[in-house]
Amino acid sequence: MTSGSVTARLPAPARFVLGLGLLLAFAAAGQALTGALGLPLPGSVVGLVLLWAALGLKLVRLHWITDAADGLLGILGLLFIPATVGFLQFLSAGAAWGLWVLVMTAGLLVGAGAAGLLASRLLRPEDS
Amino acid sequence: MIWVMVTLLAFAAGMLTQLRVRSPLANPTLIGTLIVAAALLLTRVPYDTYLHDVQPLSALLTPAVVALAVPLYRLRALLARQWRALLIGGLTGTTLGVMVDTLLARALHLSPDAQRALHTAPATSPVALQLAPFTHAPPALAATLAVLSGLIGALILPALLTALRVRHPLARGIAIGSVAHGVGTARAREEGEQTGAASSIGMGLAAILVTLIVAVVGGSGP
Repeated sequence: MTSGSVTARLPAPARFVLGLGLLLAFAAAGQALTGALGLPLPGSVVGLVLLWAALGLKLVRLHWITDAADGLLGILGLLFIPATVGFLQFLSAGAAWGLWVLVMTAGLLVGAGAAGLLASRLLRPEDS
Repeated sequence: MIWVMVTLLAFAAGMLTQLRVRSPLANPTLIGTLIVAAALLLTRVPYDTYLHDVQPLSALLTPAVVALAVPLYRLRALLARQWRALLIGGLTGTTLGVMVDTLLARALHLSPDAQRALHTAPATSPVALQLAPFTHAPPALAATLAVLSGLIGALILPALLTALRVRHPLARGIAIGSVAHGVGTARAREEGEQTGAASSIGMGLAAILVTLIVAVVGGSGP
């Protein structure tokens, strides 16, 4: 919003539409890139990296996409309910769920413990 | 479209519950999932029918994953100042999380489906879901285990970090975000702005790193 450009004066709904269009464009670009190069990656994650780079290079202005991005990220939890409801198909796994939770809890403890200890040693002291 | 309506209302009920009950277990996705699951069981509608009906909703997932670039870009100043701690800490945490999930699952002889789904548990659910075609995991299981991982992380990690005497907000945040993604980040935000910011960075980096790990290791599997 700092710039005096025309796009900064767009009404919010128009900015939302512009942002959603751009997010879809980057998703499509990511998809096209993974397809063309035969990369075993989801196009959306490649789109994420491309958008990050485009923002850094000022090819895309932050205010073009913030409304759409914040809107979508605000309801991110809603968007994967269709997938998580699929746990119904795995109800028959029964007791195995206990082991699955055990494994992921071990992963959480080891990963977060190491990250926390390592990061506290590497932090630059001037910033606190 | 009736199931889109049910899903939206179930999620809204979850968000209302979260406003009243301040607990990581009062998670809108968890509550929404349980309500929709109960509705499907009661009406005896098969999951495939449901999935087909709610496709418009699932379609928004792709641009939402791309949108994760925005918080990462907004926090670029913090990332530039503390890149060593955030990058090395976060990437180490995510790598170890994926390794433990993979090796322990193999050691315990879990079912192939569960082993494949656990690979992506430290990444945020939408990313885990988008990676499922590459890990050959059932998408539903990959997404569910990723949500569960975030929930359990939000419950236990703050206490773990306190026990390990990790006190700096940035260190606590990156540790939570690197393995407990979205739900963990919501919990980290309750500790403060810096903790939440570091956790967002951890979640974004984990999304990219887990994707790369799958591309290099998981994608080459059968």
